[in-house]
Amino acid sequence: MRRGLVAIGCALIALATLPARAAGDDADDWLQRMTESLASLNYDGLFTHSSGAQSETMRIVHRVENGRSMERLVSLDGSGREIVRTPEEVHFYMPDRRVVLVEPRSDDGSLLRALPSPGPKLEALYTLSLRKGTRLLGRDVRVLDIKPRDGYRYGYRLWLDEQTAMPLRSEVVNGDGKAIEAIHFTRLEVGNRIGPRELEPAVDTAGFQWVRSGNRAEPRVAKGGWQVQRVPPGFRLVATRVQVVPGVPVPVHHLIFSDGFASVSVFIEPGPATGPAPPESATVGSANAFSTQVGGHVVTAVGEVPAATVRDIALSLAPIDVAASPAKPVSEPKNH
Amino acid sequence: MMPMANFPPSDGSTEPHEPRDDAARPGSGVEQSDLELVRRVQRGERGAFDLLVLRYQHKVVKLVARLLRDPTEAEDVAQEAFVKAYRALGSFRGDSAFYTWLYRIAVNTARNTMASRQRRPLDYEADLSESEQSAVESRMRHVDTPEAAALSEEIHSTVNSAIEALPEDLRTAIILREVEGLSYEEIAEAMDCPVGTVRSRIFRAREAIDRSLKPLLD
Amino acid sequence: MTDQIREQMSALLDGELPRGEVDLLVRRMARDAELKRAFGNYVLAGESLRAPGGVMAGKGFAARVSAAIDAEESASPVAEQPAPSSAPSRWRRPLAATAVAASAALAAVLLVRPDSGDSQQFAERSGAPATVPVVTLPVGGASPTPAQNQRLAGYLVTHGQYATPIGRRAAWSNALATDPGIARVTYEPAEAR
Repeated sequence: MRRGLVAIGCALIALATLPARAAGDDADDWLQRMTESLASLNYDGLFTHSSGAQSETMRIVHRVENGRSMERLVSLDGSGREIVRTPEEVHFYMPDRRVVLVEPRSDDGSLLRALPSPGPKLEALYTLSLRKGTRLLGRDVRVLDIKPRDGYRYGYRLWLDEQTAMPLRSEVVNGDGKAIEAIHFTRLEVGNRIGPRELEPAVDTAGFQWVRSGNRAEPRVAKGGWQVQRVPPGFRLVATRVQVVPGVPVPVHHLIFSDGFASVSVFIEPGPATGPAPPESATVGSANAFSTQVGGHVVTAVGEVPAATVRDIALSLAPIDVAASPAKPVSEPKNH
Repeated sequence: MMPMANFPPSDGSTEPHEPRDDAARPGSGVEQSDLELVRRVQRGERGAFDLLVLRYQHKVVKLVARLLRDPTEAEDVAQEAFVKAYRALGSFRGDSAFYTWLYRIAVNTARNTMASRQRRPLDYEADLSESEQSAVESRMRHVDTPEAAALSEEIHSTVNSAIEALPEDLRTAIILREVEGLSYEEIAEAMDCPVGTVRSRIFRAREAIDRSLKPLLD
Repeated sequence: MTDQIREQMSALLDGELPRGEVDLLVRRMARDAELKRAFGNYVLAGESLRAPGGVMAGKGFAARVSAAIDAEESASPVAEQPAPSSAPSRWRRPLAATAVAASAALAAVLLVRPDSGDSQQFAERSGAPATVPVVTLPVGGASPTPAQNQRLAGYLVTHGQYATPIGRRAAWSNALATDPGIARVTYEPAEAR
């Protein structure tokens, strides 16, 4: 069909700009392939996001142009919320609160940033295995199982399309092997041309409050700094940056911990004077959050890891006692 | 090798093509089903449009109610959106899912309604106190009248009780279908039974729920 | 006999009815109010399972839509329907405008009042890895307020930027989820193996 021919032409162009695909047929290779596909292909699909008894229909549109990606995630059923990622910014539309949060885009544009790197480090924490799966959406699939070796992280089960390695279904699996969250595509177009209109939000923002980052000022936090004490095995601090959090009048510190696959963000903001104290723990789908108050500050850890892990990471931060001899400062990794 | 992939295979083109062997593999997905209904409407069958309305009425009313922030008008505006969709159906070519297309129409209809009423946009900080905010913005409890709210809750608990009372295989089947969004084939794989059994289990679960709902809603 | 038709209706709702059977079913449903009523309840069951409570279409909504369309059509008769492959000229009225309106003027509100603060350092202390604790966090308790939800959602969006594509998908889907923070676990989804 005519549309098909046009799409093939564009898809060929898209393929030509793909990085060299991982050769080989191991679980590691498939993980690599999947991550590359998600980062570098155009796609437009509908999926069901379910956790517990709740499920929501969402649409995702992803386009890559000149090496930069744009993405739009829309909730079709409930809140009408959307996240639109343009080359420069990330906009989070919350029509239920009449707010748009605007953040500068933080990745440096490299499509393959934050690839989980298979190899000894990842293997120490997860086992990967591959098997043939039942067809999904009329496609042949391989099932990639990512099993954690300990209880500090979640597992994943990924049904990857044989041809494109796109995850047609993905589950986050807890320590009992139970799926606590699932994303399941009911329709997916890969490699097609994506018009600019598909990446525009459907929200009318008249009267909305737009919350933007101000200048990158230093946040008003504890004198003397913070130290990271014992974190769960496999996790290490990979980046620190300054972040504006809507609702908090001053910028906050944002620390990123990662085990090579899962990541946990920690936000440190001044104490309760700035607003209601966050709940001690919260869960939404596979994401857990834990807040604690330390030295007049609120430390919140968020990530797709078990609740104990966010708790441990949040509790691993302590203000440096100015009087004591300073611990060796961390050699700053990438500072975004 | 054809790099382009459409899953499930798109059916929406206007050019004739070989129909798939439906005895072996029924139309895959709600998507396909919607497209088939749309084609029938385009050929003049009004009845097919009624089914689309039945399928999406709650979603559209819910969506519009949230956009308008005044749920009492939600049904009228939702009705207008469906009528618009019917009028515009001739130009729908199946490039997107029917619901995605309908969603956009509903959003625009609600937006136009608000614009025509020239509502002054809420001054966020000035107009809403914290408690008012919680009252107004509690997600799924945004209903128009106490009676409607009560009915809505009653429907929910009736459905829940009916599901709880189901034998486990029926309950699993309908949960996998309605909450997880799995296809019959995928459910058959999960429950290790034939597709025909899945279809029958889901049907019987729905019948049980219908029996419970009937006295409530008639 | 009726059971068979109703089972077909159930399959149609799921998009699993063989195409050859759709025609007959649609025509039967068109002239049978009871079938339509049951179909409506099948739909309602699904909606209620996924998003309990809240606004829904009232009884008779679908009938009202139908009546509204009737009213329009009788006001202006339409031409005979040509074959589907040619341009659809059945629709006499101009196409409904569905162009997305450009966003209105935006008020950029700066919530940040930069303070001159001290520059901070993060010191990483190497230490023995923690042993594996078994921590049971309290489940339930007070639901987060909308403001807390917003903050959590904002955190998830920021966090998602630093995750792998799959992690970002999970973080952002949860940020979009209608009501983050309130556990409503009623049924455990069976594993699809």
